[in-house]
Formats: sequence, C-alpha cells, structure tokens
Amino acid sequence: MTINRRTFLATSAAATAAIGTPMILRAQPSEYILGVSLPLTGPFATAGQLVAPVFSLAQKMFNDEGGIAGTPIRFVTEDSGYIPNNTLANYQRALANHGTDMIGYFADSTGAMKLIAPELRGANARIMGSTSFASELANPAENPYQYLSGPTYQSQFDILLQNIKDAGGSKVAFIFSNTEFGRDPIEHGKATAERLGLEVVLEESTKAQGADIPTHVTKLAQSGAEFCILQGYVTGVWPQLIGGARQFGLPVQFKGTFWGMEKFIADRITNEAGPILDGYQGVMPYRYFYDREGAPRYETYAALSKEMFAGTPMENYMSTWALQTMCGLELAVKAFRDTAEAGNELTADNVAETLSAISDWDSGGFFGGPVTMENNAIGTGRVYSYSAETKLFTPTSDWLSV
Amino acid sequence: MINGNLKSTYAADERVLNNSYKQAFVYGMILALGLFTLTANDYFILIACKMGILLIAVVGVNVLTGYTGLVSLGHGAFIAIGAYVTTAFHNGFAGIIPDQIMPLIAIPVAIAVSALIGIIVGLPSLRVKGLYLAVATLSASFIVIFLIEQDAFAPFTGGVAGINTPIPNLFGWELDTKREMFVLIASLAFITLLMAQNLIRTRVGRAFIAIRDRDYSAEILGISLLRYKLTSFAISAAYCGLAGALFAYFYARILPEQFELDLSLELVAALIVGGMGRTMGPVFGVIIIVMVPELIKISFGAATGGALDLQRYAAPMQEIAFGLLLVFFLLKEPLGINHITDRILRAANRWPFARG
Repeated sequence: MTINRRTFLATSAAATAAIGTPMILRAQPSEYILGVSLPLTGPFATAGQLVAPVFSLAQKMFNDEGGIAGTPIRFVTEDSGYIPNNTLANYQRALANHGTDMIGYFADSTGAMKLIAPELRGANARIMGSTSFASELANPAENPYQYLSGPTYQSQFDILLQNIKDAGGSKVAFIFSNTEFGRDPIEHGKATAERLGLEVVLEESTKAQGADIPTHVTKLAQSGAEFCILQGYVTGVWPQLIGGARQFGLPVQFKGTFWGMEKFIADRITNEAGPILDGYQGVMPYRYFYDREGAPRYETYAALSKEMFAGTPMENYMSTWALQTMCGLELAVKAFRDTAEAGNELTADNVAETLSAISDWDSGGFFGGPVTMENNAIGTGRVYSYSAETKLFTPTSDWLSV
Repeated sequence: MINGNLKSTYAADERVLNNSYKQAFVYGMILALGLFTLTANDYFILIACKMGILLIAVVGVNVLTGYTGLVSLGHGAFIAIGAYVTTAFHNGFAGIIPDQIMPLIAIPVAIAVSALIGIIVGLPSLRVKGLYLAVATLSASFIVIFLIEQDAFAPFTGGVAGINTPIPNLFGWELDTKREMFVLIASLAFITLLMAQNLIRTRVGRAFIAIRDRDYSAEILGISLLRYKLTSFAISAAYCGLAGALFAYFYARILPEQFELDLSLELVAALIVGGMGRTMGPVFGVIIIVMVPELIKISFGAATGGALDLQRYAAPMQEIAFGLLLVFFLLKEPLGINHITDRILRAANRWPFARG
C-alpha cells in the first residue's frame, strides 16, 4: 500500500479508535459491580442470612433512582463462612472477574477487613465497607479506602459509660467475648471510665459461644457492679448471662453494644424464657426500623420490603444488622454519586476523598440529625431500652456524639 | 511401549529424574509455571500461592504419615508457629539484621523452632499410635492457638487481633506483590518436593518406611524408634514451619483463626486424596483440595449470576463435594490420585501389550 496523506490519516484514525475504544468502554461500563462477602454459613450464618436480602432491596432501590450517574449497579455476593481468607479470595476473584467495573466491596468481618486492607493498593484499591465497627479501621491515614457506617466500638463504650455516669452509677463491670471483636474497646473503656470517675470492678472474658454462665455470674455478683457492659456477642451468651444474673437475683443493670441490640433476638429470648430482658439497655447507632416518623428513607425501605419480601420476616421489620448494611451502602453510593456528579472518575482515591469529606449528611432517618464522617466513621448513637411487654426498644437518651 | 529406561551406570540409575518422560514432565511444568507467573491474573496467582504454601505443609505431613505411618491432626499448629515466629523475629530484629537478608535468617529460625516443637509434640508417638496418637497431636492445635491469643504473647503475636506481617526482601528484591511471592513460593515448593523425594532414598527415609511397615520389626533390625520417630516429627514440623513462614510473608496479616483445626484436617485430607507415601501425592491432593471448592464456587456464581438466595447453598455443596470425594477415595482408591495416574502411565508405557 502506498502511504499518502489520506491513507496515513485513515490509518491513524483507525489506530486511535482501536486503542481508544477499550478506554471509552472502561470509562462507561454497562453496569457497576459491588462485590459482597457474607457469612451465609458458619457461626454467624444467622446474621449473614438476615443481611443478605438487603442487597436485593438496595440494588432495586439504587437502580430505580438512576444507579450511579445513569449506570446501574449490581451486587455480586459470595459466602465467606466468616473465614477471613475466604473473603480475601472472594475479593481477589471479584477483582479478576470484574476489573475496573467493580467499584466497591463489602466485607463481613473485622478480620477480613484487616486482611484485605494492605491489598488495597494501586489498581487493586476499592472502597470497602463492612459489618465491622472495629476501632482500628477508623483510621484514614492507615486505611484510606475502608470506612465504618457508624461509631466504633470504643465510641459505643464512651456513649454507654457517659450514660452510666449520667444515671449516677459508680461501679461498672465489663464482660466480653474472647474474640478480637470482644476485646476491641476494653482498654479504651477503662481509660474512659477512669476519666469519668467510674470504677471498673470486673473485667471478665468469656467464650463467644457456650460460655460457663454460672461462673461468670458468680464473679459478677462478687464484684458488686451496679452496671455491666456486654461486648462481643451476637446471638448467644449475652441473653444467658442476663438470665443467669436474674436467676441469681442480681440487681445489676446490663447494657450492650450494637450486635447485642437486635429486637429479633430479644423477642425470641422473651418468648422462650420470659421477661428476663425487660429493662435491658444498649447503644444503637441507628433508629429502629419501626421508628419511621420523619425518616423518609426508612419509609422507602418499608414500601420495598412489603413488595419484595412478602411472607418473610423482613416484610415488616428490618434487623439492626440489615440497617447497618443499608447505611454502609447508602454512604458508599452517595460517595460514588457525588464523585461522578463532580465529573471525576470513580477511582478508589477519588471516591475515598469524597467519602471522608461527607459532612452534615441527612441520612433520611438512620440518625437523629445530619451527621459527618470523622476518621471514616460516624460517632453518633443513642441508648435504647427493651420492654418485654411491648417487645420494642425505645430510646432512653438523646442522640450522643463522641 | 517401554523405552528410555536403559541404564548403563549406577549414577544414571540413581537419578531422581531417571527417564526422559520424567524429565520432560518436570521441565514442562517449570516452563508452564514460568508462563503462568507472567500471564495469570491476581486471583489465579492468589490461588496458586495458596496451593504452594499448602503443598509444602502437605509434603511435611506426608513425611510423617505417608512415610513413617504416624498420624497427626495437629500440623496446623506448626504452620502457625512458622508464621508467628517469622513475623516476631522479623519485627524484633528489624534494624539489627539488614532487611536484604532478613528472610534468609527468619525463615530458618522459624523452621528450627517448628522442628523443635515438633519433637515435643511427637513424644507421645513413642507410646501410642494410630487413633490415640491422632488425638494426642490434636491438642497441639488447641495449645498453640491458645498461647498465641494470650495477652502475655500479644506484643509478639498481636493476640486475638492478629498482627501485620512484614514484606520480605531478598538481596534488595522486595517481594511486595503476590506475583513476586509466587516465584518464591513455587521455587520453595519445588525444592521441598525434591528434598522429600531424596529423603526417602536415604538411610533415614528407609528407616521411616521400615517403621511404617512394622515398627517392632524395624526395632529388631536395629532402627531406633525413639530417634527416627522424633526425627520424622521434626522434619515434618520443619516443612510446616516453612509453609508458615511463607504464609506470613504472603498474607498481609495473620490471625489465630487462620490456623485452627480445619487447617490440620485439610492437610490430612489432601494427603488421603492425593496419595500417601508418594512424592506426587501431595501435589494431586492439594490441587483437588483447593480447586474443587473454588470450581464449585465459580460455577455456582456463573450459574446463578451471584443471586443471593442461591449463594447460601454453594458453601454446603462445597463441603458435601469435599466429603464425598474423601469417601470415594477411601472406598475406591485408598492410595489416592497418585495411584490412578500411575496406572494410566503404566498402561500408556506398556501399550499395546498390557493394560491396567
């Protein structure tokens, strides 16, 4: 072929198109992927299975609202069995399968978050939310791409201890599971108690499942604690400890953190063992799902739940764990949308910057008012009390920010 | 038909790769691994690294169970020891030992500590065997994990929270990507296999096999059971220690739950499926044990399009498939995949004169 001006220009244009097309395709994927690892089997399968349907709801809702700048999103979910290595493998598989189309990931444990954190580098970095409230993760300098959708366990302890102080308490016990999750806020809690002038009379570590209840209750009785904070349990141990103390006739008041505040569990215990949880209090970062006045986002979820989950327990009630996940997804999608609307590419760095700068966010009902991300967490919560009669958790404090 | 087996010297007969088929297979595999390193995506590299680490540990279990006939259900503990000793040593001597040679010291230290603890854990083997020994070794898993989680050791192990692991550096080459780690893991896995193959050709290896076949006959023949059983435990634990060291360098963080009983069971299961007492047994076993769950996961994901309500069935299916595979091999082919491949190769080699 003779090369002249015309063939040169035509060849150049064809070459540019051939090279440029993949870039255009990359910039405009047909859908954005958000990967998810959940414990659908294993010790926390109950929580995982209650959270799983939320992703279908979120997918429908976000896409009905236009996705991200017009591009729909799709959640790709896998089971982890609550094993961090599995979550890491799931994450790598999702990256390999979806590449740059995958703009975010939702992990299922503190262990998984910590294991994946160092992997979030360069082209492999993605925005990552999780079920964890681990204090170590709320550190944008170390983990710029990971965030919490509420207060850290340390902040939750601060809220509870402040609440105990306000109630005139002086002696407090900490009972926690021998997991990372259980131990997370203990040292910090001791420091806060000291600052507030509270005496920590017992620090008791138990198994996460199948703990020796009579021994722990006896130690609690000997400590003379007026209040006992329970940390690091999900479905088991915490109700047994409270039941054991009630049988023992202890007047101690129990308080829990987020994972021990699920109405679904409290109701089940009440049905099986009577009103032993009456008056049990704890810190919750979010409103309960039935508290929908002035919470338009909750109303949207309720309408969708009725439509999508008819005949299942989720038809009328969304668990606290599901709300946490929804809040995490709302935060991520807001960051994606804001980044896209600002005309920026949805790279992990751009989205992380938007996410960490979220301020005065009106969440539509999750929190008492507009909230701000600080250290990639939202340090807000409120103390709720359970009534065995109404089977509802009702607020006993104002919204507290730490 | 049989050819390439004519040996005219003792040296030729004693070679590990003593015929052209074995040579072609091994060199072909090296070439394939080289190409894999250059072309595979991060996910396949992750899986391959996982297989490499597991392979080294299974080779260790093979020395103990396959060659010496001693059962252990506690070898996950030695991987944990290797991982935590490497990390603690690396962190503890950072700044004192130059980074460029740190792994060359930290890894042998981890291997040595694992071997030493292997000897201690192996002491019951002098009195009990079979099921009793399995239960005795089982305790190693629980004790080691318990100690790792204790506050007293937390400055070195990170306790229940786990600990971030260092990035290895070999003479200035920082292995900060999984692909680079794969080069190290694959090389060491190959060397480990070769060493195990050579081990059974030595006096020590023959003593192991004699103990496996009938321990009191071996003793009558003058083989010291005390010495060789403990040596077997030490070598086996050392392999697992190496696997642990690589585990620590490969994963960015180590957590106690990564080394629980499941891991020990996985090692034994891989050996049963692959073939005990054979060099290639661990290779086949590890491929199956890692790939079957992954393939089920991938095919399930593809078939369901990631549908949530169906995903929960994928994990039990993996476990069921895994269990059925074990039962199948125990019933139909107790000598593992290695025996199947042996029969295929033998038939091919003798074709058309013999089959089976």
